[in-house]
Amino acid sequence: MNVTSCMKHHVVSITPDTTIHEAATIFVKKHIGLLPVVDKENKPIGVIGMRDLLKLELPDFVNFVVDVDFVHDFGAVEDTRPPARTLNKKVKSLMRPVITVEEDAGLLRAYALMLQQNLHDIPVVSKDGKLIGIASRVDVGVAILSTWSKVE
Amino acid sequence: MTALPAILSIIIFFGSLALIFSEKINRSIVAIAGSVLMIGVGTLFNFYSEEAAIEAIDFNTLGLLMGMMILVAMLEPTGFFEYLAVLAARASEGKPMRLFILLGSITTVLSMFLDNVTTVVLIAPVTILISEILGVSALPYLVTEALLSNTGGVATLVGDPPNVLIGSAAGLSFNDFLIYSLPIVLVSWAGALFLLRFLFKKELSKRPRRSKAVMKLNPAETLNHPETARKILIVLGGAILFFFVHHLLHIEPSFVALSAAAIALMWVQPDIHEVLNKVEWSVLLFFGSLFVMVGGLEHAGVLEMVVRLFDNVNGIPPVLFGVFVIWIVAALSAVVDNVPITIALIPVIKGLGETGMDIGPLWWALAFGAGFGGSGTIIGSSANIIVATLSEKTRTPITSALWLKRGMPVMLVTCTIASVLFAIFYRWL
Repeated sequence: MNVTSCMKHHVVSITPDTTIHEAATIFVKKHIGLLPVVDKENKPIGVIGMRDLLKLELPDFVNFVVDVDFVHDFGAVEDTRPPARTLNKKVKSLMRPVITVEEDAGLLRAYALMLQQNLHDIPVVSKDGKLIGIASRVDVGVAILSTWSKVE
Repeated sequence: MTALPAILSIIIFFGSLALIFSEKINRSIVAIAGSVLMIGVGTLFNFYSEEAAIEAIDFNTLGLLMGMMILVAMLEPTGFFEYLAVLAARASEGKPMRLFILLGSITTVLSMFLDNVTTVVLIAPVTILISEILGVSALPYLVTEALLSNTGGVATLVGDPPNVLIGSAAGLSFNDFLIYSLPIVLVSWAGALFLLRFLFKKELSKRPRRSKAVMKLNPAETLNHPETARKILIVLGGAILFFFVHHLLHIEPSFVALSAAAIALMWVQPDIHEVLNKVEWSVLLFFGSLFVMVGGLEHAGVLEMVVRLFDNVNGIPPVLFGVFVIWIVAALSAVVDNVPITIALIPVIKGLGETGMDIGPLWWALAFGAGFGGSGTIIGSSANIIVATLSEKTRTPITSALWLKRGMPVMLVTCTIASVLFAIFYRWL
């Protein structure tokens, strides 16, 4: 079995010129965690995850203080929003390099890749590099576990 | 014939310094290479030897620094520093001016007994946390912490590496620093705090958006290992008590610090690799290598030549000469590391002593200049660099231009206060 058997065929993707603000709206509307960024030929050139957007809102101290357990009230940070000038930036300023699997990749290869690269979703591309689907950890994991029923 | 060794050693020493200040190569690497070169060339041209190099190293300084580093390395993971900062935040009730004075004072007191860098490294992250939940800019607090730790560190023998060096070379005790340095530093410190309050008036008069949030910080939860913290604080307190009487017992401060480290290690029995990983070996190596290089200069007769240069200024009143030393050393410390400056100037002052000059007050002039000068620029002291580097990872980075506007006035005011008091109390120093 390969990854195409479990991936979602309908992929929501954006172009590099989408603003961060627009991307946020898509995350909300579609209730998803990862948006592949594609060029004019529908080839993935980067990704933007929900966590990349949330990082804009996260306070600086989270990067410095290892254990924030003792902070029971985040106070002013709770209702600080990223400034409009940040939200109006294009996603290409924020996107990360994309890690994809080809359509003929096996399930375990896809899963191992996600595990090692700490990905929750992985875009699937065709032989000529075009985006054809996306698989989540649950998609891949369930597909692998379902084969266990055949074990005698 | 004496000219060649002098020229060679000057080339090696100043070549190394230039490389260090260019920041192209790590300073410890340059210092190690430079010291080896100094010994090699010195052996070849018969002005320096391995034995002389070993003798040039001030192991008292290295031992004191290492002992204190081990204690701090053990105290750091206990969360004690966060604990103090959280206590300050709660006591301030979220009022910026009160928080400003409390955090500044805590940093000062800590930096009087611990390394400035360590103090700032541990206090700055919690400072960012507190200001963020209050909804105010962390910048005034961070800059002030670095500047006050530079200033406060001058007060004690163990507060600042230049003091350790000066104390060891001049045979000054812990109490000597408390009697001669502390009072002058206290006045200078108050001047610095007052000035900073004024310079940051705009930021500090802004009302925080959520001053109540700090009251929900729980100090008890910041202490990850309260039992360990208690043990190390007891040992540290004992060490400080012994610092007060070390000269009466005829033991060196380094012995006190190393004994304290040994007792703490025996008592807590931490993972020794973790502790030793936190000790800044590169700093200790840097110091050791500088000693070797300056030893080369000394043996080549360079420092004697410098002393003779100063002979011509014997005409000017000694008080004026002392004030001149404060400002020259401060100006140098503002742009370059004050450790090499101090290590290089110590033999010069000793040499001046041999010509019959009263050098007692000059040691204090050197300490004030080296300590206060570091406030002037963003690269003037390690504490400044730490705070600036940390702030680069936040949304409001500290720029070198901002540092000039806040730090330079502090340097000028503290040096002026120190100069005036130095002149007034000259005959007692």
